[in-house]
Amino acid sequence: MTIRKKAQAGTMQSSDLMVFVEPAPELTIEIESTVKLQFEHLIRQRIAAVLHEQGVTAGKIRVSDRGALDYAIQARLETALQRAAAE
Amino acid sequence: MVTGLLSSADRRKARAFIEAQGLRFESTFDDLVGIHEGRSLVAVGARDGNVLKMLAIEPSHQSGGLLGELVTELIRLGTAAGHEALFVYTKPEHAGSFEQLNFSLLASHGRAALLEYGGHLTRYLEANRHLVRRGSNGAVIMNCNPFTRGHRYLVEESAQRVDTLYLFVVREDRSSFPFEVRLRLVREGTRDLPNVLVLGTSYYAVSAITFPAYFLKQPDQAAEIQMELDLTLFAQRIAPFFHVTRRFVGTEPLCATTRAYNQAMRRVLPRFGIDLVELERKEIAGEPISASRVRVALAAGELSGLETLVPESTLAYLRSDESRAVRERIRSSEGRH
Repeated sequence: MTIRKKAQAGTMQSSDLMVFVEPAPELTIEIESTVKLQFEHLIRQRIAAVLHEQGVTAGKIRVSDRGALDYAIQARLETALQRAAAE
Repeated sequence: MVTGLLSSADRRKARAFIEAQGLRFESTFDDLVGIHEGRSLVAVGARDGNVLKMLAIEPSHQSGGLLGELVTELIRLGTAAGHEALFVYTKPEHAGSFEQLNFSLLASHGRAALLEYGGHLTRYLEANRHLVRRGSNGAVIMNCNPFTRGHRYLVEESAQRVDTLYLFVVREDRSSFPFEVRLRLVREGTRDLPNVLVLGTSYYAVSAITFPAYFLKQPDQAAEIQMELDLTLFAQRIAPFFHVTRRFVGTEPLCATTRAYNQAMRRVLPRFGIDLVELERKEIAGEPISASRVRVALAAGELSGLETLVPESTLAYLRSDESRAVRERIRSSEGRH
């Protein structure tokens, strides 16, 4: 999957997250989270896994998390990627 | 659910709601959104460019997630409009509610706090880390619209007094000369000064975010709060990063807004251990050299005599074809900038 344009998904509600993706020559992942100290590495792992599954190798991924669980992270990121890949 | 408030009846209701919460309704905005319960409004918020404003929530509903819902929608709209960074002014006691939403605090003082969404200040500083020099450094922040012999004099005098002088050029594109041109003329006009480093201010000094009144003709009462926040941000976040302990500025005999800003610097900077050094402006024919004098000459179509006001690099640009569009714009309208 290719990130063709800017897109986002998610909300700022507690236990949710917002995902912003945009085209970029290299793959970068930025994470802001209210539980960054405790869980940044797990959030990053989950995001990397989804990007790998979707075959995304380039783009800027920015995540603003408020304590979302794994399946929410996965769903929001997949949605943002689909929006970004749409023609 | 958050909905756009589009009809004039909706807007009247929003106005009454915002004013009932003790905020001032401003008629300039790109989006105005609200949340209803039944038929009555319980929350309202607006976006004006990359600034979120007039956020108000019915007191009985403040403990829930309404702020998150409002801000989610405003950020979605702001991002869709192409803004990378979004900012909000609020009362210091509400800064925490925004930090909960992953906003980060830029500056706070007695009456107001400024936060941003996206962590761009950190990124701005990181992008300029290669310019950090040890020592006792100084800073000057200038619009340079365009770069004159007066600017050159101030930079030269300041650079002699410090190890490294950081010359911040105002990033905001609200001036006659576009940022890229202003920056280039500053670089060309200071190239021979080895301890002067030139960089843009991004959103973080004298911008439409930190100091919107700078770009208006008449400073109002809110301008004073903005200036103090702008300076607090500079003193707490930018100056320490570059080891800056002195800020240089020219005395301001002409413009009321700049004079008020200089006064605010005198009040605010020493509190953070930064010395303000005011240098007398260089004069030609009994009047200080200023960029506005250059623009007045351009407005009158007088290119001769400019060599006394601007250095050769700026003069070459002003005489070039490249500057024709800018010169014509200045001729047709001469505002404050």
